[in-house]
Amino acid sequence: MNVKKYGKIAYDGLITNNATFKLVLGTCATLGMSTSAANSFGMGLSVTVVLLLSNVLISMLRKVIPNTVRIPAFVVIIATMVTLLRMVLEKYIPDLYDSMGVFLPLIVVNCVILGRAEAFASKNPVLDSAVDGIATGLGLTFALTFIGIVREFLGSGSFFGIQVMDFKIGFFTNAAGAFFVYGICIALFVFVTHKMEQRQRVRKMRALRAPAGDAPLPPVTGQEDK
Amino acid sequence: MTAKQFFKSNAFKSLAVLIAIVLAAGVLLAICNDIFHVSDEERFARSIAKIYGTQVTTEEVELTEEEKSYNTGRVDAVYLVADDGNYLFKTTGFGGYSGGSGEVTLWTVILCEGTREAGDLRLTGIRKVVYESNEGQTLMSNFTNEYYAFFTEHNEAIAAGESFTAIKDGGELDNVSAGASQTSNAIVNAVNTALACFRGVLSGGQA
Repeated sequence: MNVKKYGKIAYDGLITNNATFKLVLGTCATLGMSTSAANSFGMGLSVTVVLLLSNVLISMLRKVIPNTVRIPAFVVIIATMVTLLRMVLEKYIPDLYDSMGVFLPLIVVNCVILGRAEAFASKNPVLDSAVDGIATGLGLTFALTFIGIVREFLGSGSFFGIQVMDFKIGFFTNAAGAFFVYGICIALFVFVTHKMEQRQRVRKMRALRAPAGDAPLPPVTGQEDK
Repeated sequence: MTAKQFFKSNAFKSLAVLIAIVLAAGVLLAICNDIFHVSDEERFARSIAKIYGTQVTTEEVELTEEEKSYNTGRVDAVYLVADDGNYLFKTTGFGGYSGGSGEVTLWTVILCEGTREAGDLRLTGIRKVVYESNEGQTLMSNFTNEYYAFFTEHNEAIAAGESFTAIKDGGELDNVSAGASQTSNAIVNAVNTALACFRGVLSGGQA
């Protein structure tokens, strides 16, 4: 029962409500930080840590914080967590700290974090919120890293900083290229998840029909909904 | 509304909770700020690691205020690198973008022969120029490694007493990045300040 519940929360955070590809939240960091795979992976992990901590704290305090002042309370908690992360990064991972620059403090106003606090953590128990925070954060990390890999490969011909080819297209390292790659990634992701959901629905229907002795459905060809 | 009613009201509760959260956050951050404080020595060690790639022993050279200020920039610090006898300069060049008020700070490793004590210190060139920070510049990404490497490729002219310029007039030591000439100016000024300080102060001349 519990495993199923947490599985569903995790699946929602990673796929159905993927912050970057499905909800299109936190685009500022996505477009600004995804010039290289390593940078975007670092950004994704930073957001995951902040999301986990803020979700847990807000969930713990959800009965104490009055409804009327919940947004300022959430923002204070998130800002505290980001400042804390900033200090830790500056002390222990200065390279990442330098490369993230202004985007690190900007995590405070990242829609994903306030969005999850408002939509999930303020209504659910601590453990659920923690799972949701990790899942949403990993979904974002995956999306950012994917865009980062594509942009780094096409824009500077390297993979996680290792030069693999001489051919490079400068277009992909600037903002216009970021929008272009982002759009195509969203289209791909929606296409794939849509197909997956469709297959799942057909399988469910089959399971329902089989005991009733109905004629089996034709195999899935991907043309059903047209 | 009596005082008793106020203390029971929703407004007071909201106020109290918000103030409590802000106070707790403030105390937590104050404590963590102490724990995770990055000291100046640590920052310096990081810069050294960025320039040399390994740990080196350095010894700060004491200069007077007068010896540190020049028309083109100011000297923030000078170190004698014990391992190879070269001098490491941290200089800030003036005359950058936004009405000439912008600044760029650089690390410059100056190659030399002889020692200051013996009085035969001689400038032979620049080994490396590393970017540190800037004030008000917007086009720092225009300056690639090739731009900084230019400073290290003209050691003969430097040894002969010349300085770099940021004006494109066909001279050998012009180093301008197209589209960011004002920032180029500040960078060149920073390098020239290091050279001027070395020539004027360390190798025996007057400031």
